[in-house]
Amino acid sequence: METSGLKLALRRGWWVFLALLVLTAVEYLVLLVMPAGNLIYMIIMNLVDAALILYFFMHIGHLWQKESH
Amino acid sequence: MAAAAHSVATGHGNAAHQRETNRLGLWLFIFSETFLFSALLSSRYYLQGLARPHELNQLLGLGITVALLLSSLSAYRAEMCAAHGNQKGFEHNLLFTVAMGVLFLAGVTIEWYEAAHYFPPKTGFGTIFFTTTGIHAFHVITGLIALLVVYGMGRKGRFTQGNYWGVEGVVKYWHFVDVAWVFIYPTLYLVG
Repeated sequence: METSGLKLALRRGWWVFLALLVLTAVEYLVLLVMPAGNLIYMIIMNLVDAALILYFFMHIGHLWQKESH
Repeated sequence: MAAAAHSVATGHGNAAHQRETNRLGLWLFIFSETFLFSALLSSRYYLQGLARPHELNQLLGLGITVALLLSSLSAYRAEMCAAHGNQKGFEHNLLFTVAMGVLFLAGVTIEWYEAAHYFPPKTGFGTIFFTTTGIHAFHVITGLIALLVVYGMGRKGRFTQGNYWGVEGVVKYWHFVDVAWVFIYPTLYLVG
């Protein structure tokens, strides 16, 4: 009994996971093509990774929202 | 009546207010945990700079990272299912999360076995590697225990569409464990 709201949320989850997977693959590729001097690229990708998880998976935005019930 | 008024004034008995307070408390706990992991990560750069042993098992590191990302997806799905009253979806996704967590721990165990041979704890990188992955693995173990407790409570019907704070809380903690690894993985395996 999946409601449309649940379907939408589950689909969003897959998109976020896909983005995380792509970023992880890119990190690995950066290691292969640039074994040294890659710190700044890694930091940028890690921050994007963390932001995706914090915003979409951990719902950090709910901290500033009032509960309705 | 006076007790009820006091209850409303103080927020006790008010489910929505209670959830907001719980949420804030958990976020503060998570924020405090970031200091621990930040100290561990900065010690890697302080003690070793950007040096990285060639013997690191890169494929294993990548594999356990994907396992943990998958567990985050299923944890999110479990929370969404609980929020929408989908009991079966909640149970299946939570069990999958536990399975991925166990797989991650198995990978870390293999990595430790190899690391003990190539860069034992008495070496500079070994100290950082074992301390950081060890403390993270401890968080994974506590997360797994919490997930199993919530799974048991869920099977007994303790969570409903409007009352699933237990699920939300443990899933947030699990995501934090994932966020910590998102920084640990490149710091130990990839940065050079």
